[in-house]
Amino acid sequence: MTPQQSFRHQAPAPSPPRPIHIPRASETTLPNGLAVVIVEDSRLPLVSYRLAFRAGDAHDPPELPGLTDLVTGLLTEGTESLTSLQIADEVGRMGATLSSGANSDYTTVGASSLATFSDNILDLVADVTRNPSFPENEVELIKQNTKESLRQQRAQPSFLATEMVSRIVFGKHPYSVIAPTLESLDATTRERLVKFHRSKFLPNNAVFVIAGDVRSDALLKRIESLFGDWQPGELPRDDFPAPPSHVSRSAYLVDRPGSAQSNIVIANTGITRTSGDYFPMLLMHTVLGANASSRLFMNLREEKGYTYGAYSSLDARRTAGTFRASAEVRTPVTGDSLKEFFYELDRIRAEPVSEREIVDAKSFLTGVFPLRLETQEGLIDQLVQIKMFGLPDDYLETYRQQIQAVTIEEVQAVAAKYVRPAEAAIVIVGDGAEILQQVKPYTDAVELYNTAGKRKGKPSSNSDSKGEGDLALIVGDWTLDIQTPFGQNIPAALKIWQTEAGLGGSVASEMGDANIVSAALIGNSFTASLSFEMGGQALDAKIAGEVDGTQMDGSISLQDSPQLPFTGAKAS
Amino acid sequence: MLSKDQSTPVVSVAVYYDVGSRNEKEGRTGFAHLFEHMMFQGSENVPKAAHFQHIFNAGGTMNGTTSTERTNYFETLPANYLPLALWLESDRMRSLKVTQENLDNQRNAVQEEKRLRYDNQPYINAFLRINELIFKNPANAHSTIGSMEDLDAATIDDVREFFRVFYAPNNAVLTIVGDFDEQEARSLVEKYFDEIPSQPDPPPVDVSEPGEVARTQETFYDKLAPAPAFVLGWKIPARRTPDYYALTLAGELLFEGDSSRLYQKLVKGDESVVSIQGGVDERRGPSAWYIFALPKPGEEVAVIRDQIFDEIQRLGASGPSKAEMEKLRNSLCNDAVRGRQSTMYRAQRIAEYALYDGDPHLIDSELDQYLRITANDIKGAVKRFLDVENRVVLDIIPAAMVDDEAHMPRAASPQPPGDSKQPTSPASQIPTPAPGPGAVSGADKNTLTPAPAQPADTTNQTDTGSDLLHQ
Repeated sequence: MTPQQSFRHQAPAPSPPRPIHIPRASETTLPNGLAVVIVEDSRLPLVSYRLAFRAGDAHDPPELPGLTDLVTGLLTEGTESLTSLQIADEVGRMGATLSSGANSDYTTVGASSLATFSDNILDLVADVTRNPSFPENEVELIKQNTKESLRQQRAQPSFLATEMVSRIVFGKHPYSVIAPTLESLDATTRERLVKFHRSKFLPNNAVFVIAGDVRSDALLKRIESLFGDWQPGELPRDDFPAPPSHVSRSAYLVDRPGSAQSNIVIANTGITRTSGDYFPMLLMHTVLGANASSRLFMNLREEKGYTYGAYSSLDARRTAGTFRASAEVRTPVTGDSLKEFFYELDRIRAEPVSEREIVDAKSFLTGVFPLRLETQEGLIDQLVQIKMFGLPDDYLETYRQQIQAVTIEEVQAVAAKYVRPAEAAIVIVGDGAEILQQVKPYTDAVELYNTAGKRKGKPSSNSDSKGEGDLALIVGDWTLDIQTPFGQNIPAALKIWQTEAGLGGSVASEMGDANIVSAALIGNSFTASLSFEMGGQALDAKIAGEVDGTQMDGSISLQDSPQLPFTGAKAS
Repeated sequence: MLSKDQSTPVVSVAVYYDVGSRNEKEGRTGFAHLFEHMMFQGSENVPKAAHFQHIFNAGGTMNGTTSTERTNYFETLPANYLPLALWLESDRMRSLKVTQENLDNQRNAVQEEKRLRYDNQPYINAFLRINELIFKNPANAHSTIGSMEDLDAATIDDVREFFRVFYAPNNAVLTIVGDFDEQEARSLVEKYFDEIPSQPDPPPVDVSEPGEVARTQETFYDKLAPAPAFVLGWKIPARRTPDYYALTLAGELLFEGDSSRLYQKLVKGDESVVSIQGGVDERRGPSAWYIFALPKPGEEVAVIRDQIFDEIQRLGASGPSKAEMEKLRNSLCNDAVRGRQSTMYRAQRIAEYALYDGDPHLIDSELDQYLRITANDIKGAVKRFLDVENRVVLDIIPAAMVDDEAHMPRAASPQPPGDSKQPTSPASQIPTPAPGPGAVSGADKNTLTPAPAQPADTTNQTDTGSDLLHQ
């Protein structure tokens, strides 16, 4: 480096900050209660609409999870005057978008188009929202396709992890359910959909946010003519059971044999979106795990190389929330990753964050904030959230002040209150046989599930595999009858013995001999990983079985090969 | 390239290097992307991890991505932090520092990225396989993520050599879009980049292909797939040719959206398919055109395939209708205008046109070239290129359903781009429901369709490929 380049030694100072312009929204409420929020933005000839209702998946009837999603899926599949195809063609013709969807707290109908079509697309929004006809054939089709999508979701480890976290952390609160079931789909009728739509899609429970190249007065007139005669109704209530309190740490393993990674989520209950602790939590989360310079990422990825990314998550919804830390890690470092997670979770509770860290976190949050308002979609997101969660009207204007006002003490207080590693649920989706022993040092309470979400092994008062009574179930000589896909069966001899570390054993068959590398028994679920010698090459294999007295049903899989079912019998 | 827009006080900076996976040597697949990770591991004046910190502490966002064609680095910041972005980008362009420890660490991170986004996902690896069948030239055929073995083989000397050959100012373009003072921006660019020495031009890359794919059919055994599916692929001409434009538009008519022909025929009409998707892999050389279909269980896969071929042939025989041409026109205009809302979108498009075509103004004029495509052009291109005799069929069979062990391939395991990812920005912490283009799911839900039917590097719409952060 040449001396005249000394300007390169340090980061250059920023130039003076430029003022941030928060777009001005005008709000009107129609006599039927529909709130209309309009932001005029003529920079580009575009318009974006979003009509949002304060009722979401959490308001599904308990016996019909997924009902809201079926309703939203069907809004664009036919109205009293248009068929599904006519709607699709009209949206397509304009090069526009029209869609509907829900999250746990609210439901939306959204559309966007070139400004030329702003009236046409608005007419469609009104029609699909108010007059959906729920044609029988469309109802049947969406039920079938949703069943298929359920099957596809179960192939995704991230879905399995989220499902288990929600179930454990939210308990009887409706946020615990994240997908419909085959039974709820079968039980849903057209009549039920019609009734549900009528009771939840109410003008007095909705806000209509529009941003784009429009003129407020003309637009408002059109909205009044399209929505003015819409009758208000009784508002849905948020009277949900509270999430349960957990008093100790437990692990929930979703066994996905052959998984290439362990999806780890450590979670406990958190805050609601309107909690007074929201801004300190946001700062705490930013220091701990919100981005690629936060502690979790720096530790688990940049220092240890365990993962592509480790993050925390502040999931604050209308009636409950969670705080989570998560990463997808390679299987052999599952235990090492838990060690680093707990180190970081303990540290943020025990030690105040540094002055440097809180200053950096504040500049991150206040700096990225205006970037979110850059597009019509981004701005609408913010305005809809303000309305759906009941945030103050000046939320956007005061956001940066709220961030700046948070103190180090407040950050530590919320960390101590809402980061609770001693009571957390550890959810791991991965290869059960490989990860079970790695989880043991972090909790003795381990429950094993299959990818269908069903508990494996009977819950027992002593689920610790070190318990003598449990081990007696599996220790001994077993004869396995392995079924191959081409008809013939292969016999194998499985021997299991007790070692100082737990369980050991071997398998002998015409396919070769194998030693058990690790094995575990939870309740009556047996899992083991083996190393096979085959043609001079070492191959990994897995066994998973359910023990019932002297019988065992399960499957064995060789590396990169399908699972082969077996039945086993124990020599007395 | 500078493009000024003072409507929001933000600035987006993009640096594009003319190096992608197509430049990789045999035995080093995945290296361009691994190298991209190394660009965040420190340079003379910026220690490891400081790049992230500088950007985030300024209130910015950033990432880097690698595709077949190029490697890009970009950040969006509050407008007054433009000097910071140029300082960071110039320091690593002139003085990247590499250590064995950092290489090993990022090799681990990249291998976890491969497991997360490919090897632990159903269906995704089939898309890597179909590229190997469509393309004959190894430069085109291999994936940007590469193989575990090749990633293991990468050495620190490879990193140094790659940096010397490809990471020079004469092999890169820089774009700045947003709220800045033109004189100030110019002098900042000169200050930070002028003295970085040029290097001899990198060796030319040969991406030529024999025209035909020939009729190819293969079965891909997928350990994680819960149901059979298939991918169809065709080799098509390079980007920015009239045939490429025409085939992109044909794709839009066939598989984009609820009004598309194949959706209406198979998902709605026959109800034989759960989901049908398609895409175009846009490249400077021979490109590719795909369809992915997830049939309903029990449906005859071969029949569905024939119906798809029939529909393509019908388009090739009769061309699009008047109504379809109107739809294309409006949708091209809508997409062109909507993308422009974001300064980063503009910075990236301008950089691409400058790097690939030497003409940044194509951001304004390429739309006209699309709009000039006639119904006849589409008809002709479909007829010439989307021939049944000239396509690859890849049947995806769940490995658990295999009835003959001898057919089991070694080493075909899939992994997902984990989509219920932890949000990395406060905006995404709040569950946001469907509306708006693209969004289909709330916080705790997965989308309806299976895994994204295409891995990032088979589509150019989102312009990702493999990237530094999953966010």
